[in-house]
Amino acid sequence: MAETYVKEVETKSYTKEVLVDFYKTMAKIRKFDENLIKLMAEGKVSGFYHSGIGSEGLSAGSIRQNLRDEDYIYYNHRGCNQKIAKGVPLSKIYGDFLGTIEGTTRGLGAGIVHSADPSRGVLGQAGTIGSQLGLSVGTAYTSKLTGSDQVTVVYFGDGAASREMLHGSLNWAGLYKLPIIYICENNEYAISCHVSETHSVKENIADWADGYGIPNCVVDGNDVLLMHEVVKEAVERAKRGEGPTFIEAQTFRHRGHFEGDPYDYVDVEILQNWKDTKDPITNFAAKLMLDKVVTEEDLEKINKEIDVEIAEAIQKAEAAPLPNPERIYEGLFA
Amino acid sequence: MRKITMRAALLEALNEEMERDETTVLFGEDVGKFGGINAVTKGLYEKFGSTRVFDTPIAEPTIVAAAVGMAITGNARPIPELQFGDFVGIAFDEVFNKMGKWRFMHGGQMEMPVTLRLPIGIAGGAGPEHSQSPQALFMHGPGLQIVIPSTPYDAKGLLKTAIRDNNAVLFFEHKVLYDMKGEVPEEEYLIPFGKADIKRSGTDVTIIATALQVHTALAAADELAAQGVEAEVIDPRTLAPLDMETILESVRKTGRALIVHEEPKTGGSGAEIAAQIQEGALFDLSAPIRRIGSPDVPIAQSIYLEQFYTPNKEQITKVVNELMEY
Repeated sequence: MAETYVKEVETKSYTKEVLVDFYKTMAKIRKFDENLIKLMAEGKVSGFYHSGIGSEGLSAGSIRQNLRDEDYIYYNHRGCNQKIAKGVPLSKIYGDFLGTIEGTTRGLGAGIVHSADPSRGVLGQAGTIGSQLGLSVGTAYTSKLTGSDQVTVVYFGDGAASREMLHGSLNWAGLYKLPIIYICENNEYAISCHVSETHSVKENIADWADGYGIPNCVVDGNDVLLMHEVVKEAVERAKRGEGPTFIEAQTFRHRGHFEGDPYDYVDVEILQNWKDTKDPITNFAAKLMLDKVVTEEDLEKINKEIDVEIAEAIQKAEAAPLPNPERIYEGLFA
Repeated sequence: MRKITMRAALLEALNEEMERDETTVLFGEDVGKFGGINAVTKGLYEKFGSTRVFDTPIAEPTIVAAAVGMAITGNARPIPELQFGDFVGIAFDEVFNKMGKWRFMHGGQMEMPVTLRLPIGIAGGAGPEHSQSPQALFMHGPGLQIVIPSTPYDAKGLLKTAIRDNNAVLFFEHKVLYDMKGEVPEEEYLIPFGKADIKRSGTDVTIIATALQVHTALAAADELAAQGVEAEVIDPRTLAPLDMETILESVRKTGRALIVHEEPKTGGSGAEIAAQIQEGALFDLSAPIRRIGSPDVPIAQSIYLEQFYTPNKEQITKVVNELMEY
């Protein structure tokens, strides 16, 4: 059975620069998200949006300082968190939502899925949830083909873990010892269904990996430093040629599956408890201040800088024109 | 010129292209040490090693998905195989939505140099899920190129083009054709997509046929010639892109068109070709456009009943004679 990843992680093992980077990334993700929801309320953005608020630590901790541009990720259905952590410019992500030519798709438009930035190893995402699990083993296989030390990290939710593709993927990853890291963002709910209603597991989703002989663990996904450490070990293992790792990161979403979701299938007290006691940003900020890494004023300054950055990104994305109708006939073939 | 089987021609193409480009990687069920259940990949494992040629678990969605995931890195040129073309149903999402649309959906930022090989066709009592010809399904799927050769020469030239192409290719191989011999030159050549081949020239009727049916059509044309009817037999060779120019030019000349394929008649590739003929040459027609396909029912397992699914020479001559009455 999957063990819980435990490690004494102290801020003093990191430089201030790295710690601030974790904080900044999480704060940027949250503010990006809040501002996107605002744009939706203003009627400027249509389609589905799956807010990643409440799970920022998982993406920031796993990606920042662990992955290089040449390492690949497949983001999940709350994937703006991972795209931002991987460094995709905010104006490009907003541009995809707004459908302007600033977007990574140059005006075709994209929601969370279908934006991509190959220059930063972001190879896109499927609209059919969990399909990235199949693609990711192919991507990881190319590292074997070319003899590079690039790793592939594939993110997926507890819901996507139900897809048959997970099992095909794990079988290949274990069989061919692929340099791949599975990060299951378990926020307990696949839209309205609790994980206990949809998954036959011993105890945790990570237990499935055990059957494939893949090292696995369960980790507190809202602890950014713990996330960083567990993924760092997995990346090192992959680079040493020791194959895949399966990490089940436990978290919770503060909002419904999609904007407009009544979110009435979750016990209000449980949700409130996650918000009050397990918020990854609040907790990390408190820790940084307690350990005297930063002051409240420092954090305020960082937040103001992010506000400016986001306002500029939105302005840039909105100022860009919509594509010509002919755009739909471009890019089908090389 | 030397004559070799289509199987040998395909294997030559694979050998040459894998030698030429070390980013090529070939995989599928039993394609490695065993050399493929149709023996098309024999010797490649020994020659190129177990990283570039490998056996996979029985997992069609993962086979196709992995090919897509390799291709979009820009570091690999995958040549996956589905053991039977029918199994494309298992991997439908990966073929239809991922291989075909990934490039477009992500703004054209990645290439999709995947050549997916799919053996198809009725070949001796294999039953309803090992005998089908599902190619027409993908004419409805943007982003997919559909190749369907009828001769060893075409098979080799088209497969080499497919592997070098940076776009997704579905390469359908009729199983009965694997043992068929034809002229294939020693020297290298490529055949472009979207260029139909006139397999026989004629002035009275245009027969458009694919895969094995090209040969049925040619046999029927010989018989018709003895009766004084000259049929022109056109093999589109690729259904996407489809060379309507060559087809329309022929129909304008003959005024009569018959489409023959082993696919079910309803919604088969002939339906699209017929629609495009009437859009482009209605007033050049002297007779209705006709189609011969398989009956619109699942293929029976019985080897006795199976023959009634494959279009035959007699059906073709009968329909051509009907067309000649107009």
